Amino acid sequence: MKNYKNLFLGFLLMLTPMLSFAQKKKADKETAQWRYEIEAAGVGTQGTYQIKVWSYSKDANTAIEQAKKNAVHGIIFRGFPAKDRVPAQKPLAQSPNLEQEKEGFFKDFFATGGKYLKFVSLSNNGNIAPEDRIKIGKEYKIGVVISVNQALLRKDLEDAGIIKGLSNGF
Amino acid sequence: MKNLVIVLVFLSFTLNVFSQAKKPTIMIVPSDVWCNNNGYMMEFDNQGKAVKIPDYKKALQSNTDLLLVISKINELMAERGFPLKNLESAIKTLEGESAEDAMLTSKSGNGVSESPIDKLKKTAKADIWMQLTWSINATGPKKSITFNLQGLDAYTDKQVSGASGTGQPSFTAELPVLLEEAVLSHIDNFNSQLQKHFDDLFANGREIIVRIKKFDSFDGDLESEYEGEELGTIIENWISANTVQGRFNTTDATENMMLFEQVRIPLFDDKNKAVDARGWLKGLQKTLKDKYTIDSKLMMKGLGQAQLVIGEK
Repeated sequence: MKNYKNLFLGFLLMLTPMLSFAQKKKADKETAQWRYEIEAAGVGTQGTYQIKVWSYSKDANTAIEQAKKNAVHGIIFRGFPAKDRVPAQKPLAQSPNLEQEKEGFFKDFFATGGKYLKFVSLSNNGNIAPEDRIKIGKEYKIGVVISVNQALLRKDLEDAGIIKGLSNGF
Repeated sequence: MKNLVIVLVFLSFTLNVFSQAKKPTIMIVPSDVWCNNNGYMMEFDNQGKAVKIPDYKKALQSNTDLLLVISKINELMAERGFPLKNLESAIKTLEGESAEDAMLTSKSGNGVSESPIDKLKKTAKADIWMQLTWSINATGPKKSITFNLQGLDAYTDKQVSGASGTGQPSFTAELPVLLEEAVLSHIDNFNSQLQKHFDDLFANGREIIVRIKKFDSFDGDLESEYEGEELGTIIENWISANTVQGRFNTTDATENMMLFEQVRIPLFDDKNKAVDARGWLKGLQKTLKDKYTIDSKLMMKGLGQAQLVIGEK
């Protein structure tokens, strides 16, 4: 009987990383659609934007995982509108076709565990306010407040030649 | 062989240096309206008419909030790889230079030459002015800041960039905190527009203003004919042939003067050397001299304004 119990526990231990891997895969699959909304959450400290990212997923944890990737994607390609006197910000990308033009770079950049993680941190340790967890039909719409280090992100993209710096060409 | 490699390395370095366009200088100044509202104006009598001009020195010496905002913007722009010229330092340099010029003499006792024009030109200069205005709004105990930052081209008088808005009202935050927040909120949008201006400059050439005048001593005027063509037309044709896609406007033209605006000049000449308004207009000066034996005096104002006065040097 004891042997069976150990076997069961071992099986569970094996299953945990597999489940986590499956969740990440699911996050990647859903993130590939870039279905999210982004809004200002406050004026960030120097060099950072504080934003709230609303991500959609059937699984609440997946939505939280997606939020980090969506936040960086939003700052690079979408910008965000003004809210409560926090002014709107334009995207870092100067060309609307940048994502397609530099597809190879962004594929690696947004890969699981990719470079994008360097530029985001969750506010409130990732705790979600009850009003930011909305169930719509079969899926969740989750709002996560994220701080994006846009100064570092911009510098990184400039150094990689993806976007131009202000003094470029001078 | 070794020498050849050294020469090639040197040549590639030289070409690399030349392939950089002339970088515009940017300086932050408080706007006239801010100076007026805060009592930093000088008044003088200009031929019977009272004229008020901003007293930047007084503002910089007495207003710590202004210093804070300028320093914050300078810091953020330097972080973006575009350090700005500092107004306070520029004023000090000008004063120091004037004092030195007044004392400077050669061994034989001669002073430094200075024409009235040279004296007039002794002001703080920048190619783009970042004009700063803010006002404090108070509703009961709540305070907020309305902030306005304008990027103005010193030559074309166009606003090339801007960011403005009113921040969130606060009961507790002190003025310097609100100002810092305003700068952080607006600087990226300002830079985003500035970037667009630079992109346009690289794509369509530098936009400059060209003035053509004549000295009284010139035997003739801009309507005088040379090889069957009026001098004004010869100048216009040269400008058309040497601008990017022939883009320019003839704003004014009389027998004595011509004004060309929105003149788009290439950033580099045919030797890949970076050019500004003066360097570019030198071509016209040379053409007039070589082809029509007309002497002229070339004067400049920064990267984007040049004036050619025909008749003599």
